[in-house]
Amino acid sequence: MRDAGYTPPRHGPPPPPSVAMRLFSVWMRHARVYADSLFANATPAVLEPLLLLLAVGVGVGRYISAEFNGLPYREFMAAGILGMTALYTAAFEATHATFVRLRYQRAYDSMLNSPITPRDVFLGELLWCATKGLFYTTIVAVVLAVAGAVSSGWIVLAPVAGFVTALAFGGLGFLVTSVVSNISQFQFFFTAGLTPMVFFSGLMFPVQELPTPLREIAFATPMFHVIETFRLLTSGPAHASASWTWVSPFVVLLTALVLGSWGVRRMERRLVR
Amino acid sequence: MMDVGAERDVNDAPVVAARGVVKRFGDLTAVDGVDLQIRPGTCYALLGPNGAGKSTLSRIIGGVSPCDDGDVHVFGMDPWEHQVEVKTRLGVVPQEDGLDEELDVLRNLHVYGLFFGLRGVAFRERAAQLLEFMELSGRETTRVVALSGGMRRRLSIARGLLSDPEMMILDEPTTGLDPQVRHAIWAALRRLRARGLTSLLTTHYMEEAAQLADTVGILHRGRLVAEDAPDALIREHLPAHVVETEIAGGAAHGSGRTTERPSRDACDASDASAADAPEGALVERYGDRLFVFHDDRETLLAWAAQHGGGRTLARAASLEDVFLKLTGRSLDA
Repeated sequence: MRDAGYTPPRHGPPPPPSVAMRLFSVWMRHARVYADSLFANATPAVLEPLLLLLAVGVGVGRYISAEFNGLPYREFMAAGILGMTALYTAAFEATHATFVRLRYQRAYDSMLNSPITPRDVFLGELLWCATKGLFYTTIVAVVLAVAGAVSSGWIVLAPVAGFVTALAFGGLGFLVTSVVSNISQFQFFFTAGLTPMVFFSGLMFPVQELPTPLREIAFATPMFHVIETFRLLTSGPAHASASWTWVSPFVVLLTALVLGSWGVRRMERRLVR
Repeated sequence: MMDVGAERDVNDAPVVAARGVVKRFGDLTAVDGVDLQIRPGTCYALLGPNGAGKSTLSRIIGGVSPCDDGDVHVFGMDPWEHQVEVKTRLGVVPQEDGLDEELDVLRNLHVYGLFFGLRGVAFRERAAQLLEFMELSGRETTRVVALSGGMRRRLSIARGLLSDPEMMILDEPTTGLDPQVRHAIWAALRRLRARGLTSLLTTHYMEEAAQLADTVGILHRGRLVAEDAPDALIREHLPAHVVETEIAGGAAHGSGRTTERPSRDACDASDASAADAPEGALVERYGDRLFVFHDDRETLLAWAAQHGGGRTLARAASLEDVFLKLTGRSLDA
């Protein structure tokens, strides 16, 4: 066999695109499709947290004279609203949206027919998740600041926290998507997994006031650390739920690295047949 | 295969060289020990019934799917291990096109071009050329949802050509299209071949293979059961002429049987017409049709005049006849 002696045509083969170019191109594909219907895409994602702030933070908050972690109720809720925005943005993107691309749009098949590798596909996808997390967190943070629910200058780091939070929950979403065979199975993940975690992680009330076993469980969820991190940014360390609150940003970062890389690997394995 | 002159001689090593390729999905062996080579500048058509392993094999060659056994070289490299390098030089037109429905024609090309690192002026020039070549000029801002099936497929081919590939892989490029569009696409593919583009085509349209391919490989249950130039395949496997007629006494019970005259005892009572076939004929059946093959057209016509019933048709033996003979007639083939 002379296969090893293959000589390309005279102009020579084009240089293969670099990893950075490949990840950028995957990211760009999602950005293009997203930007094409920006209004329809972004409106509900931003409106939902703001409705929560209005209905509960302002509406219910008016009847609550007590301070939570030394904060008025509206400001107490701000951290949870930011965390929830990043979480749901990333979780949706890495589950429903990813599944649709995988099964119905065949978008990944097109990528795989080009120089994009299975790992590029999901790393690019995860970067896109994180970008959306950053984008929505930023918008919501600006609105919260304008509404007077923010008292710390550290809020300028909210986009970074949104990015890292979205990496973590994008990775978690991938883990779920890698085992799901039918799109309606995601309901279990959202209603049995994410919703209780969000409500018992310090969005509505301080979790340190929960009875003992529940409190420890809450401390162990990634969402508690996400909300603690955001509270550091909205109101500063004086209003934390625990004295060791400085650990939380590192827990979030570590979670993002572990869940992100694990999720990408699992999805790669699902894609390669 | 084709004499392409001295200039090509240095390049004569096969673009694709596969040996003993095996691919399993659980208990199913989709590709079961295939050897094939594709020479530069030629078109190789993989022909086979649904589920024969055509798409699986083309995905392995395209660096999308790893094989379980055997070795594959594309441009002299293992397409799975060196998938970025190999895929940079391939243009793929998949069966399910995976175009972004909500994006317009030009944006679809732009997104795909970026996967190859193609952008800026180089992209714009190439895109304009290809839209012209595939007769899509003026459609740049039309969303893919609004394109007809034929335009979609032409866009998918333009997209596959975007990176100026050395080889194309076309998976059922004209399935589901009307005859006009099919012929237009064939014309485009022939022009590409005339420019020296190597291609691997999977199809279950015999005419497509006959029109486009230099070499046809017939894949059946994951194995390559025959491989040659289209005309040579017909000559090797069947007499030159055939008469199709209705079977006397209605549909045959056992379809998928080949009877060679004088092995008369292989025919049961309802096969009267098969038994009457002329000396030296090859008789095949499927459904309620009887196919009598013979090298001498006059003999066949004389036989048909006497025995032909219902709708009788005399024609040259085709690739489809070879295909049916080799892959069997029953639907579970």
